[in-house]
Amino acid sequence: MMKRTCVAVCLIWMLGLMGGVRPGEQATEWPSMTVLHAQQPEPQDEFVPIDELPPQDQLPAAPLLVVAYAFVVLALAAYLMSVARRLGGVQRDLDRLEAELKRSGRS
Amino acid sequence: MPKWFTPAVALCGLMLAISPFLIANAPYESTMGLVQKIFYVHLPSAWMFLLAAIVCGVASLRFLFRGDPRHDRLAWAAAELVVLFGIVTLVTGPLWARKAWGVWWQWDVRLTASLIGWMVSVAYLLLRKYGGPGSDKLAAGLALFGMANVPFIYVSVNYWRTIHPTTSVVPTLPTSFGLPLWFSAVTFLLLFVLLLRARVRLEEQRAQLDALYLSVDG
Repeated sequence: MMKRTCVAVCLIWMLGLMGGVRPGEQATEWPSMTVLHAQQPEPQDEFVPIDELPPQDQLPAAPLLVVAYAFVVLALAAYLMSVARRLGGVQRDLDRLEAELKRSGRS
Repeated sequence: MPKWFTPAVALCGLMLAISPFLIANAPYESTMGLVQKIFYVHLPSAWMFLLAAIVCGVASLRFLFRGDPRHDRLAWAAAELVVLFGIVTLVTGPLWARKAWGVWWQWDVRLTASLIGWMVSVAYLLLRKYGGPGSDKLAAGLALFGMANVPFIYVSVNYWRTIHPTTSVVPTLPTSFGLPLWFSAVTFLLLFVLLLRARVRLEEQRAQLDALYLSVDG
C-alpha cells in the first residue's frame, strides 16, 4: 500500500514537472493563449471587395494559398486514383471468376 | 455506369479548368487580402462535407428500417466522401485562419463540431473495415450521429460567440465574390455526385463478386 502511494506521488510529481508545475504550486494560465484571446478580431458579417492588395499582405499569404489549393488537388486526385484502382481490381476478379464459371460449365 | 456519367465527367473537367480563372479574377477582400481566396475551395468542400454526412445518415436510416443493401452501399460510399471533403475543409480552414485570425486552430464550436463530425465518419469506415459481421448496422447507427451533428455545425456560428464568419456572409456576398463561389460550389457538387456514383458502383461490383464466389462455392 505504502509502495503504491509512493509510486503515485512520484508519477504526479513527474507529470507536474513535464507540465512546468511543481506539486503544491498553482498552475498559471498559458500566457500566449491570454494574449491570443485579447488579439482575436471580431467575426465578420460580410466581405467588402477592394481593388488593390495591401503590399505587406502579398508575400505571407501566397504560400498558404498555394498549399491550400495544392492540397485540394492532391486529395481529390488521390481519392480518384484510389477508387479507380479498387474498381479495376474488382473488375479483374469479376472477369476471372466469370471465365472460371464458364469453363466449368456453370452460369 | 449510367449514360450521363461520361458527359458529366467531361463537364466537371471543364468546370474545374475554368474555376481557377474566375477565382484569380475575383477581387481581394479588404481585411484578409489574398488569403481569402481559399474561401472558394474551403466553403464548397465544407458544403459537400455536410451534404455527404446527410446522405450517409439518410441512407443509413433507410437501411436500418428497410434492410435494403442498396441503401447500405450508398451510406458507405457517402461516408468516404465525408472523410474526403472533411479533410479538405479541415486543412484549408486552418491555412486560411493562420493569416486571417493569426492562429491555425481555435477550439470554437463550429471547428470542434466539424472535427467531431469528421472523426465520426472515420470511425464509420474503420468499423466497416474491421468490425466483422454485423458491423453494417452498428456503422449505420454511428452515421445517424454524424447526420445529427450537421445542423449543429451549420447554426453554431450564429448562436455562439465565435471568431468564424457567420452564415450571413454568403447571402450578402457582392456578385464579384458570389460568381466564383457559386461556380466553384456547382463544380464541387458535380464532383460529389460523380465520386458518389463511382464509389457506389464499386460496392455494387463487390456485391456481384460476393454473389459469384457464393455460386462457385455452392
